[in-house]
Amino acid sequence: MIKKLFAPLCAALLLLGMLAGCAGKQETSGELVLYTWEGMFPQEVLDGFTERTGTKIVYSNFDYDETMLEKLTAANGGDYDVVIADDYIIEQAVRSGLVAALDKSAIPNFGNINPLYQGQFYDPDDAYTVPYGAGIPLIVYDPAATGFEITRYEDLWNPALRDAVAITANYRVINGITLLSMGESMNTEDLDVIAQAGEKLLDLAPNIRLSQDDNTQDALLNGEASAAFLYTSQVTQVLAADPSLEVVYPAEGLGFGIMAAFVPVNAPNASAAHAFLNYLLEPEVSKACFEWLGYYNTNGAADDIVDPQLVVPASVTSGEIIQNVSEAANDAYNRNWTAFKAACGQ
Amino acid sequence: MKKVGALPKLYLALVLLVTYLPIAVVIVFSFNDAKLPVSWTGFSWRWYEALLRDAALMEALRNSLLLGAASSAFAAVIGTLGAIGMARAHYKTKGMMEYLSTLPIMLPEIILGMVFMAFFALLRLPFGWTTLIIAHTSFCIPYVFLMVKARLVGIDKSIEEAARDLGASPARTFFDVTLPLILPAVLSGCILSFAMSFDDVVISIFVSSPTVSTLPIKVYTQMRTGVTPEINALCTLILIAVVLILLVSAALRRKSASDGKQ
Amino acid sequence: MKRGRIWLCAAPLYAFTLVFVLGPALYLVALSFAQNTAGTGFCWAFTLENFARMRDPIYLKCFRESFRLALSTTVLNVLLGYPFGYFMGRLGARGKRLLTFLIMAPFWTSSLIRLYGWIILLQVKGVFNRVLLWLGVVDEPLKILYSYPAVLIGMVYALLPFMILAVYTSVEKLDWTLVEAARDLGASRVKAFCTVTLRLTLPGLMSGVVLTFVPSMGLFFIADILGGNKIVLVGSLIQDQMTRGGNQPFAAALALVLAAMTTLMLWLYRRLTGTSELEGVV
Repeated sequence: MIKKLFAPLCAALLLLGMLAGCAGKQETSGELVLYTWEGMFPQEVLDGFTERTGTKIVYSNFDYDETMLEKLTAANGGDYDVVIADDYIIEQAVRSGLVAALDKSAIPNFGNINPLYQGQFYDPDDAYTVPYGAGIPLIVYDPAATGFEITRYEDLWNPALRDAVAITANYRVINGITLLSMGESMNTEDLDVIAQAGEKLLDLAPNIRLSQDDNTQDALLNGEASAAFLYTSQVTQVLAADPSLEVVYPAEGLGFGIMAAFVPVNAPNASAAHAFLNYLLEPEVSKACFEWLGYYNTNGAADDIVDPQLVVPASVTSGEIIQNVSEAANDAYNRNWTAFKAACGQ
Repeated sequence: MKKVGALPKLYLALVLLVTYLPIAVVIVFSFNDAKLPVSWTGFSWRWYEALLRDAALMEALRNSLLLGAASSAFAAVIGTLGAIGMARAHYKTKGMMEYLSTLPIMLPEIILGMVFMAFFALLRLPFGWTTLIIAHTSFCIPYVFLMVKARLVGIDKSIEEAARDLGASPARTFFDVTLPLILPAVLSGCILSFAMSFDDVVISIFVSSPTVSTLPIKVYTQMRTGVTPEINALCTLILIAVVLILLVSAALRRKSASDGKQ
Repeated sequence: MKRGRIWLCAAPLYAFTLVFVLGPALYLVALSFAQNTAGTGFCWAFTLENFARMRDPIYLKCFRESFRLALSTTVLNVLLGYPFGYFMGRLGARGKRLLTFLIMAPFWTSSLIRLYGWIILLQVKGVFNRVLLWLGVVDEPLKILYSYPAVLIGMVYALLPFMILAVYTSVEKLDWTLVEAARDLGASRVKAFCTVTLRLTLPGLMSGVVLTFVPSMGLFFIADILGGNKIVLVGSLIQDQMTRGGNQPFAAALALVLAAMTTLMLWLYRRLTGTSELEGVV
């Protein structure tokens, strides 16, 4: 019995040993640890940086912004050199003292940044961050299937769309568009207004076919939904797959989201981090990145060369960004969301 | 006695058919040209090419294999010995300990991951292989433990006692008598453990270090751009590898069996 | 004899569990009584607020739904998995090996990707609907996806192998002479099955129930993906609280209550089936 097991066990161990040998080899000099979601950069851009500077890029990933903050807190602002995450979590990271002020003399391209994306709530003096892509969730619909024209968030409530709407699953965003449709701010902390939004959301429930953060756009293509409220990269993807779909910039106002890069306070290789941020701001590099990513270009110097679809239309001069709100308001938003989901399943 | 009728066989076949339907779809769509898995736009090798070019993904695959092997091996040893010890002896703490050891599969992953991270930080364990293996072992143990425990019930203690009465040392009794009896359960537990470890994302993200990444971390953190069909291609390749390994081991078994007869 | 040595066998499990399970568990309990602050942070001030908040009907509903889904999943798994494991255990050596392999092979692929496979099968313009339309069974494509049945399919699919393997390992070692003896003594097939086979394989069934019921209480990504996120489950509530909700203490309290509910169910199950007595007979 034992003998029979012995040979395959030995073989397996040997194989593992070889694999371990492969996994163990690592260059020790000049590493840059980049911490963000997977798939944020085309491989050529990362390779280009390594070729030019000799610095190897270690690409490390998180799933949610909050996970990133937890890990960064546990590492006491060390371990990572460049972090790219969402606006609201950066505000929290800055407040917790985990973010280093940028040395702008090491980022000569800093002036390339489109000012539309600067001076935001998470970094009012542009001391800590370099924006890397902006998103505006939009409505996309199939005119042949809906039978009427959609121009506003309010139209998603139309009874004609019963069981035919796909939406993203971020509770603040969905609360936010409900508030916008009521003429309120997406960031209101007025508990009565939030409660009203909760009521209004319940009316939307019968129309919801699905609510999901990943692959939401597929629902428009596979016949599950005739209208969808999608994140920017999903909008880009679904339009590429089916150009007959219509995009709507809702009349009530837009929600903005900005992703930005920062350098943690105890970054092991801060000089390489600055060099990397400067590299990202080169127009050609930005073009490659944003065309890969499908988010709006935040580098003003690249506006002329990047795919025009990725430059925010001139008509959009402002949008509201979802910000951190008081604990009580946040709990109320959360409760609205759970009640809404429960109503969707009825 | 051990005859299985046609109807049961049909049932087995039917369940297996349903099991493999979605997998067949995954395999077919790994050759689809389009990025979105909605309709068929043409045959293409592009996702396989992309996969093989992706060095980071390949390293992550290696890490995942190592992690799965290490955690399921630790879980097999700890879980099997634990099940034997607990079945053969009676402690007051037995029930409590059994319960505690299944806790890791009782709690949602995200909270377990966060708690592990905080706890390891408290112990000042450096994040990386050690923390990954500990965390994975903890949720692998219940699979081995429960499988072996169920198998041990009803196995006659007198066989072991007979072996010992005949002068076999406890170690020898274990390897020659007990282990062969429970081996199928240990193997089932190992296989399940490996699969769970190989599929885990959330806990791994919390307890890994920047330089150690696993395959699921690479695959499931493409939140901003959507999962690419590269993963379909990878699943297909893994299935092929598993089938090959099995065919080879079956062939070896047949060979050693026929050698034995000569 | 040798009680001392036997103790050593369980020592690694004791040590590991005490350090790496009990330790984090205590941290979790402490966290559930901590106070939430704005943002993702919290402070170590004792409060019962996290538990009190669960009395909200909406949150109670989450617990009810999670329980309902876990229970239906487990029952379906027993109904489908027990016969499978039983027949599998009666096959010849080659058949057993082949089936074990066939049941386990899908596990090596990613669970999420298998769910995407189901989406492609079930969607309105999907394979299943095309076949039905072609056969003329239906005139309009069925909207199966994003419904409760779709979630149940996904849950049963994901957890069935655990039930099958658990039942199989205990049927496989079954002493068939006992069943024969019962038959010789005049018991009908059904009676022999109920009094001997079922009773002797109950520990396997118990393991199977634990391995399916326990994870299904916390499993929510299947409901998100195949159910379109329209069923409110405690698992996804916890996820929301851990991420954008930014309320870790509340998430910890929810997880504890969830674990307590699961424990209670397992205890009841053991009591009702008498499995605990059986386990003593070693």
